[in-house]
Amino acid sequence: MRSQRGFSLIELLFALLILTLVILTTLAMFAERNRRLQQASELILAYQALANESEVVRRVGYGQLELIDDDFSTDTTILRPLAPFATAVDVTVVRPGVKSVTLSIKWRADKEAKLSLFRVDTGGTNLW
Amino acid sequence: MVKVRRERGYTLIEVIFSLAIFGFFLFTLTALMTEMRLLERHYPIDYMRHPQVIALMSRMRKDVVDAFGSSPYPAVFVERTMTPDGPVVTEHRQSSKTLIITSVQTTGFTQTIVWDFSTPGEARRKAFSVGSLVSNWVARGLPAEFTINTFEIEDRPYSVRLIAKDRRGRLAIDQIFQPRSHE
Repeated sequence: MRSQRGFSLIELLFALLILTLVILTTLAMFAERNRRLQQASELILAYQALANESEVVRRVGYGQLELIDDDFSTDTTILRPLAPFATAVDVTVVRPGVKSVTLSIKWRADKEAKLSLFRVDTGGTNLW
Repeated sequence: MVKVRRERGYTLIEVIFSLAIFGFFLFTLTALMTEMRLLERHYPIDYMRHPQVIALMSRMRKDVVDAFGSSPYPAVFVERTMTPDGPVVTEHRQSSKTLIITSVQTTGFTQTIVWDFSTPGEARRKAFSVGSLVSNWVARGLPAEFTINTFEIEDRPYSVRLIAKDRRGRLAIDQIFQPRSHE
């Protein structure tokens, strides 16, 4: 009788295990890549809006900082892909003569981008 | 005596099981590809990660930050170039595709900078010192549509707003630059 040799069950299972690991790792990498690309795209848009708002905020007189809106005053059309989103401007006095202005954008419940500016009362107008 | 040869193959269960695994793999791959395509559709192209765009934005930001004088944006600038056939005069006018700035340099002298976005996908920055061309820089592979606007901030009426849209008309770049205080 001719001996017909093949793979044992252990060999086959081990090979399948390695193949499964390779496939799952590749898929996980692919999914992670998508997630990070999305995160990068969102942050790039958010930081453009933050930078624009900071250009306005840093021109507001030190004494008028508390009077600015709680919302962004600049155009936020660029944030449209992040909808629904919310913008906020928070002014706090760090110590006498120093205020912190925190600009923030929140989107999709758990995503947030922030930019903080420190304003110092120099006595001048329209300074940084 | 009849010898029956046994012809071995895969059972239906084996075939179905293998196909199910293969199908699952294909489905996952397709789902990921679809997700990627949807992301590409949903978000504008990340031009801000493009080296040429980054260089353009940095240069323009510096030019505007260093804008100098009571009227840093001249309405017209006349460029005179000497060629073997004689002088060539080109007139640049402030528009949504052209930005002319008088900008102070590290040397303390001023230069007139002309930003030209009239060619789709291309931006040209020409710097003139006392009327002579001292720098001619071109960036390529840019968003097809760049627009220069002014942005009014109280007491600062001369901020520049640079807007770019991608091929699908989605807003990809929206940046406000403003001169620094000189007081």
